[in-house]
Amino acid sequence: MKETVIDAHDLSKIYDEKTIPVYALNKVHLHISRGEFTAIKGPSGSGKTTLLNMIGGLDNPSEGFVEINGTNITKLKGNELIDFRLNNIGFVFQSYNLIPVLTAKENIEFIMLLQNRPSKERELRVQELLKQIGLEDKINKKPKELSGGQQQRVAVARALASKPQFILADEPTANLDSVSAEKLLDIMLKLNQEENMTFVFSTHDQRVINRARRIITLEDGKIVADTSPTQIEHEII
Amino acid sequence: MLLKIAHRNIWRNKKRSLIIIIAIIIGLWAGIFIMAFYNGMIEQRINAAISSELSHIQIHHPEFRKEFEIKYVLPEGREKLNTIKNDPNVKAATARIIIKGMIASASGSSGITVNGIIPEQEETLTQLKSKIINGVYFNLIKTNEIIISEKLRKKLKLNLNKKAILTFQDKEGNLASAAFRISGIYKTINGPYDEANVFVKITDIDSLAGIPNAINEIAILLQSNNLLEETQQKYLKKMPETEIKNWMEISPELGLTVSVGDQMVYVFMGIILLALAFGIINTMMMSVLERTREIGMLLALGMNKFKIFLMILLETTFLILVGCPVGILLAFATIIITHQTGINFSQFSEVYSSFGYSSIIYPSLTWNQFGNIVVLIVITGLFSGLFPARRALKLNPAESLKK
Repeated sequence: MKETVIDAHDLSKIYDEKTIPVYALNKVHLHISRGEFTAIKGPSGSGKTTLLNMIGGLDNPSEGFVEINGTNITKLKGNELIDFRLNNIGFVFQSYNLIPVLTAKENIEFIMLLQNRPSKERELRVQELLKQIGLEDKINKKPKELSGGQQQRVAVARALASKPQFILADEPTANLDSVSAEKLLDIMLKLNQEENMTFVFSTHDQRVINRARRIITLEDGKIVADTSPTQIEHEII
Repeated sequence: MLLKIAHRNIWRNKKRSLIIIIAIIIGLWAGIFIMAFYNGMIEQRINAAISSELSHIQIHHPEFRKEFEIKYVLPEGREKLNTIKNDPNVKAATARIIIKGMIASASGSSGITVNGIIPEQEETLTQLKSKIINGVYFNLIKTNEIIISEKLRKKLKLNLNKKAILTFQDKEGNLASAAFRISGIYKTINGPYDEANVFVKITDIDSLAGIPNAINEIAILLQSNNLLEETQQKYLKKMPETEIKNWMEISPELGLTVSVGDQMVYVFMGIILLALAFGIINTMMMSVLERTREIGMLLALGMNKFKIFLMILLETTFLILVGCPVGILLAFATIIITHQTGINFSQFSEVYSSFGYSSIIYPSLTWNQFGNIVVLIVITGLFSGLFPARRALKLNPAESLKK
């Protein structure tokens, strides 16, 4: 049996609870195991980003809780939660969100620095990741000197640098052209296969959906489908 | 890493950072210079008052200063003067007869203080001779000479070698009057003092006042102002039958000027610091608001709140560290130059003179005052950085990432 990394129980996010309650998420159950490559899809406003924020400990659910490797992160507060994110979760954002004043190398190194990892270890990991994302020659470039695709690859490397439990990526290909998007997906799939890294995406992008091994469909804050592409093909046939 | 990010962040918006650095430079320069200007002005006023008017210490009969009646002479005054002159703390000392009276000319009259002085001793104490702008300091052979101020000369339409009549009450309370020939015209920086004081030789007035060889006042100039308290206490013990007052007790309004001047300087500094604080708060707040998404991202990635707080505070510190040395150097240079050349306000000399101030100001600053300003500015800067840093702490990562 595969090890469960993310376990979300009865997750609800309700806005305007006192007047007319709006459910951004409505009693969502979700289990994600180590090594999964999961896409969460759904129309705008379906609750994809809200779900990712709950899993990532960026937002608190109105009801329910999230366990990461057995730790109930809903109970964690302030710096305790920030430290948990630092040591367990990697984030990739839609608009790259690299630190603009740091170089590609420094951006990748950033999380390891926050973790006080020794410089030798940092150096080796940065070199290894830059090679994996194919940007060894851009090591000293600042984000504004890189293309969107290159920036997102650096963001993926940054998320992976500290070897987190899993990576949450919110629409990672949304701002990329098709070539850059495919290249990014290739890298992420390779990392998933080689390092058994767990990826969870929220996406509209059919290219991501096509490459995902598990697809969770959200509508009006509820999971309406949870299946693999193969199963979809079978259902269509 | 925090240092690196904070340092690079301040140069992301060069224009804005430069504006705040320039504001810090100007604030510091203006603050230090204004303090030096006021300090110089007050110091000059005190020095002038001590060296030309009051001296450090004055000794009188205990009743004399109540009504300025000349019958209250200093017992064994001249012996006391000789003892005082031998004190190593004393730079110069002289004896005087002080009479409140009236001066009259063909054109008018005016209430004045007649200072009966020993010319050679007065010269070492108040340098009256150096303030003569017309005529001569007393001629030792001639009698009944008087030195009046330029202001009084104009008021009474008098001139050199003309006669003026001095009228006053003698020891017995009878009116005494005598004609004095004007031998010299003096001018100090203190208009009111000039208008109220005339000088005659003590030997010309003591007999006329009915107190031959007696004195009303001993004025003492010390080697240093630091010796004031010690010397005053010493004389209080030695001469308990006399009234011994220091310059601040003789002229409380001057002491008040010093304390009001000090307060004014700190009020000015307060205004400058307030403007500086608002400048820094505004700039750093803008910087934090512009970077809401970025700070949200840092929080999401796992940078704890203390580090975020420290990062914003470091950015403010860097701005201050760039601005401070430049502002200090600029202020120093300005003070050094103006201390040599003076700042000439001669077009307002009448106004300055009417308050007893010189119209040429030589700014000066003590290390203590300088240290106070720098500490105040650094504290203000860091304190101002706290507000934007606190604002950054309140950001919610999920909300901030949507911006």
